[in-house]
Amino acid sequence: MGKTEYKRLKGSQSFRLRLLLSTLTSIPVLIEDIRADDTWPGLRSHEISFLRLLETITDGCHVEINETGTKLKYKPGVVMGGKNLVHDCGLNRAIGYFLEPLLVLGLFGKKPLSIRLKGITNDLKDPSVDTFRLTTLPILKCFDVQEGLDLKIESRGAAPNGGGEVLLSVPIVRDGLKAVMWKDVGMVKRIRGVTFSTRVSVQFENAMRHAARGIFNRLLPDVHIFTDHKAGALSGKSPGYGISLVAETTSGCYLSADTAVSYGQRVEEGAFNDEENNELTPPEEVGEHIASLLLGEIEQGGVVDSTHQGLLFLLCALCPEDVSKVRVGKLSPYGIETLRQIKEFLGIEFAFKPDPSNGTVILICIGSGMKNFARKMS
Amino acid sequence: IHLGQNKNLRQLIYGRRESKLTSSTDDVQGSSEDEESDEGEFFKPKGEGIKSVREDFDGDNVNNDDCSKFLNHADVKNWIEEEKYESIRDRFVTGDWSKAGRSGQDSD
Repeated sequence: MGKTEYKRLKGSQSFRLRLLLSTLTSIPVLIEDIRADDTWPGLRSHEISFLRLLETITDGCHVEINETGTKLKYKPGVVMGGKNLVHDCGLNRAIGYFLEPLLVLGLFGKKPLSIRLKGITNDLKDPSVDTFRLTTLPILKCFDVQEGLDLKIESRGAAPNGGGEVLLSVPIVRDGLKAVMWKDVGMVKRIRGVTFSTRVSVQFENAMRHAARGIFNRLLPDVHIFTDHKAGALSGKSPGYGISLVAETTSGCYLSADTAVSYGQRVEEGAFNDEENNELTPPEEVGEHIASLLLGEIEQGGVVDSTHQGLLFLLCALCPEDVSKVRVGKLSPYGIETLRQIKEFLGIEFAFKPDPSNGTVILICIGSGMKNFARKMS
Repeated sequence: IHLGQNKNLRQLIYGRRESKLTSSTDDVQGSSEDEESDEGEFFKPKGEGIKSVREDFDGDNVNNDDCSKFLNHADVKNWIEEEKYESIRDRFVTGDWSKAGRSGQDSD
């Protein structure tokens, strides 16, 4: 065995993206200074959990962590995929944290991926599982992802104790993705959404729906927000409620906004917090707020919302060596971070063409020609 | 309107980090001398890591939260006001189709 050349990186930023790109490009990484100056230094439990998930779906990956958890060596393996896999996402971050990298990795696996994820389905910080179903999966389909992409929400779990379960199926891409010319935002033709409530009255859902509809009514008649009240074992371990919305346009764009409210917000590890300040946002306000956020995203004029910019850029970069052009609104911090990591690992720089007429930016890139290597090795 | 905007955006995103990026692939095996040089930084004041946090946009804090959901909604507008919601009317099928058509087309 020759010695391994590691790409050296610093800090916990873009953790998922770095490990995802490391895996796809087979470049080992050494990440140092992970929260070295924090009161509670090193990797967090959700990051460890993500590493475990990588071990679950790949073959031959090697993880080494120093005592304080501030230094990580990761040597990627081959993405295997497979059926009947299970992963406990823990309670530090929601299932959405794991879904995003998993979707992309799954596409480049040896076999189609089918995995059950357990944890928190809806929270403040990560895109909800509903947003994945309503918005993220349709975006993937624009890149010619074949049949078999699916997310089933079997039970709900709010923070802090979770208890939700989803079943994710990702097909593999045989000849890579397909580059996109995606500049036409179109016009919003309908708004869909779903509310959920666990261990609280279904009235919370009605209040959120009503308030959200009130915002949309003057703009669009075609608004349907469904309820998903779970009871018993299907409602997880914590009381909570929330709403996820999607706006669909005439040109096939999907824009999302979501949130969830629950008792006992999870706090950073190391800090302990009693459930003292549990003043919850009333459901009317939650509905109105998320509806307003969605209108804000529509106003931006991009083909995806701020949350999905990163995924969009990543997919463009993983395309064959064809030109992709996409229009987005104001670049989000995560979108920018994604562009930087893409350059770091794939050596691809996007070109930017601002459109002053409506404040959008067109991003142009030539794909890296990423193939499904795992499939070819057999 | 801004001729230089294109370049600015590029610089904002890739520019400042150029030097850092090109020298990032190193051989780790022989990194013992590297460890030693850390000693000089042992008594680094605690706040130093935080000092480099300039704008959020800069993303220079190496321990930035890894979070794709867009949370900076400080400027949520009051969409109940007629003036506000009428301003995006043409983004909906209920608005003026010819206007929307124009903004959706790209000049190239």
